[in-house]
Amino acid sequence: MSEQMPAEKPLPKPTPGAEHYWESATREEFVLPHCRDCDQVFFYPRLWCPGCFSQNLDWRQGSGRGRVYSFSVVHQAPFPAYQADVPYVLAVIELEEGPRMMANVLHCDPQEVRVGLAVEVVFEARGEMKIPQFQPVSSQGG
Amino acid sequence: MTAQVAIAAVSEMKPGRYPEMDGHALYVEVVRQFLAEWSVKPADIQGILACPSGMAGGGRTDIFVHEQLYEELGIHPLYGDTMNAGGATYGYMVQRAATAIRQGLTDSVLCVGAGKFPKVGAGGAELMARMVSHEAFEFPYGTFIPAIYAQVASRHMHEFGSTAEQLAEIAVSSREWALRNPQSATYGSEPLTVARVRESRPIATPFHLYDCSIPLEGGAAVLVTSEQVARRISPQPAWLLGMGEYHSHRNIHQAADLLDIGCGRAGRMAYERAGLSAADMQFAQIYDAFSVNPLVFAEELGLCPRGKGGELFASGATRPGGDLPINTYGGLLSFGHTGDASGMSMIVEGARQVMGIAGDRQLTRAEIGVVHSYGGMMSEHSTLILGRQP
Repeated sequence: MSEQMPAEKPLPKPTPGAEHYWESATREEFVLPHCRDCDQVFFYPRLWCPGCFSQNLDWRQGSGRGRVYSFSVVHQAPFPAYQADVPYVLAVIELEEGPRMMANVLHCDPQEVRVGLAVEVVFEARGEMKIPQFQPVSSQGG
Repeated sequence: MTAQVAIAAVSEMKPGRYPEMDGHALYVEVVRQFLAEWSVKPADIQGILACPSGMAGGGRTDIFVHEQLYEELGIHPLYGDTMNAGGATYGYMVQRAATAIRQGLTDSVLCVGAGKFPKVGAGGAELMARMVSHEAFEFPYGTFIPAIYAQVASRHMHEFGSTAEQLAEIAVSSREWALRNPQSATYGSEPLTVARVRESRPIATPFHLYDCSIPLEGGAAVLVTSEQVARRISPQPAWLLGMGEYHSHRNIHQAADLLDIGCGRAGRMAYERAGLSAADMQFAQIYDAFSVNPLVFAEELGLCPRGKGGELFASGATRPGGDLPINTYGGLLSFGHTGDASGMSMIVEGARQVMGIAGDRQLTRAEIGVVHSYGGMMSEHSTLILGRQP
């Protein structure tokens, strides 16, 4: 169901400094940008560290684990590509490493999603790319 | 002591659908109504600030609005710009105008806005989601403006146990005010009840249709002036006692704390500069794209304890006859949301209450009030404190 995405769903357009993030996701690897000067992991990837402005950056393997920080179950599709998906979950995920990111919570009954729910990364095909998504840790045995 | 500045005159169109008017025609109509309502002469407008026209419509965007307006007015201002910060645009216009007047650059600035809200069902939802979401890190997840605001609601419900019924109380309170305001889009309609809000169509949990503002078209103008000009134009100006500005994030997932999202920071600055506190506020006008905004922002502005926003609205205190009237014109929820111009409505109402010209809904206590607006996805914040005495 969610693996068979209609072609018209939006593709992420890699922004400056984020190319490696999307290339990794397409290989089903979840990576996070890291500042070598102030040693912080941050999100989203960009050309400098938002903590200290250093451009001395590298990448860390992300654990892919996190919790639902906030969410909403969308009942009215915002545009036709999502008509088949409603109700779907639009959430902010707080990663184990600290930063937050937006994602959908897949492979579960939307009514069971709660703030604090433990989730793990999964990858959803989107055209030639894959994008990080999340599912409850119990979905596939954690 | 800094020089006194006031909102000397205000005017607002009734929100509606004006298919015969394009963005420019709406602007012209706003100015026409303003000039018809107030005895303002060309020499009284020495500055002009306007908002780009046509953005929310996705059509032809005019970013030179102020040039066209000052030319049509036949004036040669000393101060002018076309600026945009979403719903915070007009709060910031008042702040920029006040700063320019206090610097001695000009004695008066006409702040003008006109807007059209695209119809959500006709591609408008996608257009707007694209405008307010990160193109790579948010939009591909199917962003939808109600679901973005709902992130704040779900967080508040989780941390403080507030309920969807308490959110509905905000829509009910706003409708009670709107029914006293002939200029509101819902004037003459049925009162809302919590049950009616909850039975309306689900949009994005916890919001149902009546938790959402009404997309319409309209516009408004406010004239910000020095003390001398204010006293000439207005029998009772709305003095600008304090102002605060804070920019938090652009994309909702980047907000450091969804329940301390920048409103309180702007508010505390405004109180401090006014030498006042939240307890001095006799009313509040709070930008309300969705029902959750007044709930959380009443807390952030210190009008009730943290976590108690839901109880505040359920108590009846914010309704006609209550101790802390909020959104006395009906709010964007029931007055109507005029797209690019929405951030004007709460400023116009705050000024009207202080000026004592709010008609059937005039508050008996309106000596001092707070007006809060924000732009983007609760991204950037403006707080104004208005009062009857300079």
